[in-house]
Amino acid sequence: MRRAFLLVAALLTVATPLWADDGVTVNIQGRDAFSRPLPALDPARRAAFQTGRSLFQQVWTVGPSEVRSDLDGLGPLFNRQSCIACHAKSGRGEPPEGEGDSMRSTLVRLSVPGGKPGSAPEPHPVYGDQFNPDGIPGVPGEGRATLVWSDRIERLDDGTVVNLRTPSLLLRDLAYGPLGAGVMTSVRMAPPVIGLGLLEAVPEADLLARADPDDRDGDGVRGRPNWVWDTARGAFGLGRFGLKANQPSLRQQNAGAFNGDLGLTSSLFPGHGCTASQAACQAAAAGEGGPELSDAQLDAVTLYTQALAVPARRNADDPLVRVGEGLFAAIGCAACHTPTLRTGPFPALPELASREIHPYTDLLLHDLGEGLADGRPDFHATGRQWRTPPLWGLGLTAAVADRAAYLHDGRARSPLEAILWHGGEAEPAGAAVRRMPSLNRKALLAFLDSL
Amino acid sequence: MRPILCLAASLFGSALFLAPGAGWALEDRVVVMTSYPDDLVQRFEQAFERANPGTDLQIVWKPARDAAVELSKPDQGGIDVYWTPSLGSFPRMRDAGAFRPLAVDRAVLPGAVDGQFVSDRQGFFEAFEVAGYGFILNPANLAKHGVPQPSTWRDLAATRWGGRLALPIAGQVGFSGALYDVLLQAEGWEAGWALLAEAAADATLIGGGGQVSESVIDGHADVALTVDFFARSAIANGHPVTLVYPPRTAFLPAQVAITKSAPHPDAARAFVDFALSAPGQTLLFHPDIRRYPVRPDVYAQAPAGTVNPFQRAGAEAYAYDMEKGLGRHGLIAELFDALIVRDHDRLKTLWGAIHAAETALAAKPDPERAARLARARALAGFVPVGGADVDRIAAVFYQRRANTNPDERAVFQKEWETCVAAAHAEALDLARQALPTP
Repeated sequence: MRRAFLLVAALLTVATPLWADDGVTVNIQGRDAFSRPLPALDPARRAAFQTGRSLFQQVWTVGPSEVRSDLDGLGPLFNRQSCIACHAKSGRGEPPEGEGDSMRSTLVRLSVPGGKPGSAPEPHPVYGDQFNPDGIPGVPGEGRATLVWSDRIERLDDGTVVNLRTPSLLLRDLAYGPLGAGVMTSVRMAPPVIGLGLLEAVPEADLLARADPDDRDGDGVRGRPNWVWDTARGAFGLGRFGLKANQPSLRQQNAGAFNGDLGLTSSLFPGHGCTASQAACQAAAAGEGGPELSDAQLDAVTLYTQALAVPARRNADDPLVRVGEGLFAAIGCAACHTPTLRTGPFPALPELASREIHPYTDLLLHDLGEGLADGRPDFHATGRQWRTPPLWGLGLTAAVADRAAYLHDGRARSPLEAILWHGGEAEPAGAAVRRMPSLNRKALLAFLDSL
Repeated sequence: MRPILCLAASLFGSALFLAPGAGWALEDRVVVMTSYPDDLVQRFEQAFERANPGTDLQIVWKPARDAAVELSKPDQGGIDVYWTPSLGSFPRMRDAGAFRPLAVDRAVLPGAVDGQFVSDRQGFFEAFEVAGYGFILNPANLAKHGVPQPSTWRDLAATRWGGRLALPIAGQVGFSGALYDVLLQAEGWEAGWALLAEAAADATLIGGGGQVSESVIDGHADVALTVDFFARSAIANGHPVTLVYPPRTAFLPAQVAITKSAPHPDAARAFVDFALSAPGQTLLFHPDIRRYPVRPDVYAQAPAGTVNPFQRAGAEAYAYDMEKGLGRHGLIAELFDALIVRDHDRLKTLWGAIHAAETALAAKPDPERAARLARARALAGFVPVGGADVDRIAAVFYQRRANTNPDERAVFQKEWETCVAAAHAEALDLARQALPTP
């Protein structure tokens, strides 16, 4: 065991950058670690950033409002009333605790078979493409959603015992009738929103250069771009955002979330998701005028999400962390969780341009195996594929959140649990972690904690 | 220790039904109207629903004026509970007959904090939390700039800030009406305005509530005037800032009431019970909330460093008159605009000239010039509404945003603009005359 540890240590050749004064990371470790602006943000944009932050924190109200007509338009159907209700402190959400609880920062996507390959999912004819538990007065919410958990014990090669929990979706009090057979569901916990502008600024060509959908290099890791509909351009474009990379831009991602989660229309999503079976929803939506979220508001929120800084790494030079970093590469994690990317020109926010960043993602889709599969295709993403999530800020998850949870549906309560759920293309890496001597696993987790 | 709050038993028989272990089922929902931020609402929603499985807490978010419209509807908009930080709203709505009576156990909920009664003497609404007013400051930055930490309201005018003092604009930041009224009652109406004008001349004016404390957190200001929970939450979230209460401050309440037409009265009562219970009140200590509980018994669980407003050390005997203050917020906002915001550059120039003359006269005393300077100071701090007239004129601006009696307001505004401009012009002239000749 000791020999293995030393061997990896000896293999380390690349020093970890400290990223001090790099303009994009902040030296902060507290609960606000995900809430700070880029140090490089032009002071002239501070007011707009603050406006975006304020809108991100705003609880939206049912219209009409005499006092704040700029903040009304919630619903008719919605999941939550503010962005931070799911992205608390701009971080990740948490799943429900069980049958007696309900989803608060987690949602359920719905679709039915029949969508064209490579296109958006086919919405459920009654409930639409997202389950909205709540409605404004007079509009019945769609029901209650929660997760119930079943535990299984996994024993690693060194005797370590890990309790993994498997979620099952429970929908109850369905207000518009049963869902019917064959419905595809996908549970999504809100991801953190740090560093998104930097990811948007990575040139498309650089991301595509990392794709290997046919595994030509034979390493078992593929990486496929998702080509999704870009509403503003009226064309397909590379998906970067969303857990299945089903959104091409932050602006569209934000507008989509306002529309799907809060029920706010915008110039990108001018309609409500009321289906033909939801008469009260349609009636409530009928009298509305123009977009409830103005372009200026959407731009401000987009700037906020583009300009949220990434916390700087802690203990990056700690020997144990450096060993863990080597293991991360050696067992194949870095094949998808790409440590380093470089941003290109980004006229919308030049502060983001031409920077070396360390997001630990390739923004591509990978097969994560049956254990994590949701069985719900989304454009070119299959039911087993997920976009590689960025890992920057991972080690501060527990500091920011009241209850740390990982993976797309929050089933993992620690990074180790998350790793053990990896299958498909990541199966060899997961197996390596299972086989690892304790000290190496400790080093790997110390490295993840330093991110 | 729940329930500690009971609706009149004659209305609901609640004492019987809420007896522990009775196994009584609540309605399937309770509709709560609030203007609290989501950081607070979320945690109460989650905790309440977990404590009351089967009862869905539905939040209707409304600013105070929209809330008043909602509660004035025949069915009160289907609202069960009104729960919000809006000082003036509750007495007005009580007087309009919007609430049901509550019966509160005063042994647990004294209804008074820091010598101030914060609940309803008629028993229609109850304080839920209180917040005080003071300074958020960054000690390291103050030391770096060689500026002493302020500890009293008067220290604001005694220091040359060079823009590194942040003040909320009274007409734009919700909490600032109460903040400035606390200062004005503490220092006296005329003296308080003079103090504010002098401090504001050297300050950065900010129009968003959270942005005031944020300016200190992000290092753009060293000190800001704020309601305390922004500062307390920043400290709890790890920022290197501190909170200072002037000896004369006040802790003002947010309150909760059950509507007269509550369609889910039992669940409504359960929510109010929860909000005022020890578990509910303890949630107020959460790092993202940090408001002061109104139950003295939960302070035993307070995080280290928490001030206990029931036993505040260093406080001066000071009876802030909350009811008088409530009527003044609109007038304060108007005067703040007229005296400070509308021509901030003029104010800067004026007080810059006064301070320059004071420095020069300190080095080269001259009684005649000093008298001119004293006159300049008086004019620069002049407020066009005398202390004796405050409450009469405040009535004109009581509902400032409702745009009632616009003509009457316009007359005052024009008159103030003229006389403030004249006073400032004369003050500047005198200050320049007071400068000793080289």
